[in-house]
Amino acid sequence: MEAGTITPAGERGTALHRSPAARLPDRILKWGLTALSVGVIVLIAYFFVRLVIESEPVFKQVGVAHFLFSADWVPSKNLYGALPLLVGTLITSVIALLLGIPVAVATALYITELSPRRIRGPLTVVVDLLAAVPSVVYGLWGFFFLIPKLQPAERWFADTFSFIPFVGGMVTGPNYFIAGLILAIMILPIASAISREVISTVPREHKEAALALGATRWEMIRMSVLPYARGGIAGGAMLGLGRAIGETIAVTLVIGNAPVIGHTIFQQGYTLSAVIANEFGEAASDPLHRAALIAAGLVLFVLTLGVNAVARAFVVRAERGRRATHTPSGMAA
Amino acid sequence: MSSIAFEPISARRRRVDKLARGSVALLTAAALVPLVLILYYLVKQGIGAISIDFFTTDPTGSFLGDPGGIKSAIVGTVLMVGLAAVVAVPVGVGVAIWLVEFGRGSKLAHTVRYFIDVMTGVPSIVFGLFVYITLVLAGVGGSSFAGWKGSVALGLLMLPIVTRSAEVVLLLVPNSLREAAYALGAPRWRTVFRVVLPTALPGIVTGVLLSIARAAGETAPLLFTAAVVNATAFNYNDRMNSLPALIFQNVGQAQDRLVTIAWGAALTLVAMILILTLIARMIQRRSRLS
Amino acid sequence: MQMRYSKVLALGSAAAIALGVAACGSSNSSTSSTGGSSSSSATVNGAGSTFQAPLVSEWASRFKSSSGTTINYQPVGSGAGIAQFTAGTVNFAGSDAVMKPEEVAAGKAKGTPVHLPIALGAVTVSYNLSGVRTGLRLDGPTIAQIFLGRVTKWNDPAIAGLNPGVTLPSTAITVCHRSDASGTTANFTKFLADYSTTWASGPGTDKSVQWPTGTGARGNDGVAGCVKQTPGAVGYVEQAYALQNNFTTAAVKNKSGAWVQPTLAATSAAGVGAKPPANLEFSTINADGAQSYPITAVTFQIVWQDSCKAGISSATASALKAWLTYILGDGQRVAPQLDYAPLPTGIQSMAQARVAALECNGSPIS
Repeated sequence: MEAGTITPAGERGTALHRSPAARLPDRILKWGLTALSVGVIVLIAYFFVRLVIESEPVFKQVGVAHFLFSADWVPSKNLYGALPLLVGTLITSVIALLLGIPVAVATALYITELSPRRIRGPLTVVVDLLAAVPSVVYGLWGFFFLIPKLQPAERWFADTFSFIPFVGGMVTGPNYFIAGLILAIMILPIASAISREVISTVPREHKEAALALGATRWEMIRMSVLPYARGGIAGGAMLGLGRAIGETIAVTLVIGNAPVIGHTIFQQGYTLSAVIANEFGEAASDPLHRAALIAAGLVLFVLTLGVNAVARAFVVRAERGRRATHTPSGMAA
Repeated sequence: MSSIAFEPISARRRRVDKLARGSVALLTAAALVPLVLILYYLVKQGIGAISIDFFTTDPTGSFLGDPGGIKSAIVGTVLMVGLAAVVAVPVGVGVAIWLVEFGRGSKLAHTVRYFIDVMTGVPSIVFGLFVYITLVLAGVGGSSFAGWKGSVALGLLMLPIVTRSAEVVLLLVPNSLREAAYALGAPRWRTVFRVVLPTALPGIVTGVLLSIARAAGETAPLLFTAAVVNATAFNYNDRMNSLPALIFQNVGQAQDRLVTIAWGAALTLVAMILILTLIARMIQRRSRLS
Repeated sequence: MQMRYSKVLALGSAAAIALGVAACGSSNSSTSSTGGSSSSSATVNGAGSTFQAPLVSEWASRFKSSSGTTINYQPVGSGAGIAQFTAGTVNFAGSDAVMKPEEVAAGKAKGTPVHLPIALGAVTVSYNLSGVRTGLRLDGPTIAQIFLGRVTKWNDPAIAGLNPGVTLPSTAITVCHRSDASGTTANFTKFLADYSTTWASGPGTDKSVQWPTGTGARGNDGVAGCVKQTPGAVGYVEQAYALQNNFTTAAVKNKSGAWVQPTLAATSAAGVGAKPPANLEFSTINADGAQSYPITAVTFQIVWQDSCKAGISSATASALKAWLTYILGDGQRVAPQLDYAPLPTGIQSMAQARVAALECNGSPIS
């Protein structure tokens, strides 16, 4: 029975019949809230439409394909090719995923399955505290502390493993890798929280079955927990990805702000969000430049839309799979 | 570990098990390292600036004289986030109530939820840019940069978070409570405000506090909308200082004392957000619905 | 009982925050600005150059104490400052570069901009090279080669040739430059273009150029941070930032062939022979004079000839004029304390005359 379908007894015309006047507050509430919700839809739609309209001048000037795939971003010459920005956004986000998700899943596994019960609470709080650090602090810490401390290690890595594509070569201070690392730390709390939630819903019977068959703890996790939680974890990863794509301040402080496509992960680049932060001020009276920055914002918006859609697909599929295999615990023999 | 009817666990499997569990524990420890490092760094850089004067005087911007404190930034952050919350929380909770109580299952509800999801994913800088274009450059309200415009950007950021978390909590309220109220003849509105909301309140408060913590730490939207000033402003139509913006602007100043102030401000901001987050978690844990 | 507890907790935190704000609010009046007749509580907004930001910040703090007027200056870079100025979101712009024709055209609806030089500053060539403490000698062509990415190691013959007797390490050179539209960049690239035709025909002279190599950072402070953090880095930053970070600065060869460090004396010397036109739009890059520092930049504040016609209230216009009068008058004595050179007397008088001629709706500002 769903709350939305319960009707108060009065409306069925039984003994508690209420006059229309008495039902007025209910009606006001319902229509008021409906209007509010519709209003929110209108607001977001306006937001999107406004972005599209304001970005039109640059698309008219250079064309959508050129904007997305040309590599020259030189506002002073009216050249607006956002490919280096797009590539930078994608590279840093992928690095963030590769570094952050395994760690997030590991913390989730440790907290729910492997850790002693007593430290579970405090450990959860500490991991969640990572989300309390504002992005400007992450960026500054990355710039003043991480970059100098990691540079020797990066150089060693680039020299030792130069045969791996995109690794060997020049190492600059601010680079894609540091940006990706900072982003990984930033998405850790979200991904960990969601993974924890999903892992804790794995039915006990599945886990007990594996253990009963003689599996070690790790084998049980690998056989029962991870496959079951896979969809939810992927959904959480996508949400983290969405956050990483849009992160601005932390990234602009550690990525080098060079509108070029770096050849290795240890070289500098630029992202869609960083370019907006750096150039919006001077675009105040240049309509074309302003349109280009809004277009960059629009691309960001579309990217996160796509990522969220994928995340939702993962979660829905996981949800469905879970409902199919789940037997209510009351019914277990 | 039952292995009665089956082969005993081989040494190799035992080794793999130990190795895997050790790696998981190691990775977890690795996840905690950044937090410790950041907090240590913040305290080291910023503790020198902390004093009573630090919190009660405005920054002066003076390079040769007394650099002042961060009062205007704290006040500005509180005021701007406060206004954003005053607007975003009722709207967000209202939409959540509608989604759960009135519109559940309908096509409109699906659309609303989809749009709220979309909003959750929008990067904060795009909100800032949107407000910059529509409100700042257009000079709405007779001012260019203004505190209330910063609040608009923050409010847009907070709205989807509040709505989503409120919706989750409202869904957890047992239907039996609602049914009992209706059985006693309570009208819809009374049920919502006297039965459902109070039950869900701790969860909603948690969501609100978390969204406030998130908004308090945002820099990008404020750069475009509220600008950075030294003086404390109480008039929302004036430019307002804020902690993230002050940090961002001052950390590279060509004056050591101003840099220390920036780090002190960073320490203050992190402390504020940490406290809010911890309070939110405490409330959540004590809630009957968690 | 549980419910009420959490409600109390939530209300309690809200009350605490409210009390905090109230307490702050009440202490505001008792600890606010020191002495002085706070006759006006006007506010003037400006934005722009980070080059002049330390000086403007100090000036604003003193001006507030003496007159009560608040000057809000956002160091966002000359390009952004000019854009904000023509868009009307600020009342004046700080810029180290003269407005380009297209920028003037963008503001045509608001009126005619007036450039007021306020000080001279040195654009240092700062570097981070351990073991090389005294100023390296670098000349225009070599610096251009470095910034073109053609000289990539510190012990390159081009650098070694200019510095006999100095042991140069083989560290790679990392170039630090601006990522935002900057007047400092405009001045620095003008210097490079004067000595390198490759630079002039390539990246050219502008507030924002296509850098052949290097890392970008926001503001003078960003480039300073970049140089400070990266061993082997070289960047161009205003003198105040170089001093603050204890950078080693290069001795640059000037027009007369002398190797000059960016000292206050050398900066002032560059302004000595300057003969600006009536509109005061001039540059001191590559100035004559045996002791002149060749990368000395003039920094301006740009206002509307008729502020009120541009949409600024007359009260604000008066406050703006008072501000300009201060910085071109008493304020000039503050400049040397921050290592900016005050304006030569002749130029100072010209600027003051232009301030007196500023109008509000056709009549001189009171």
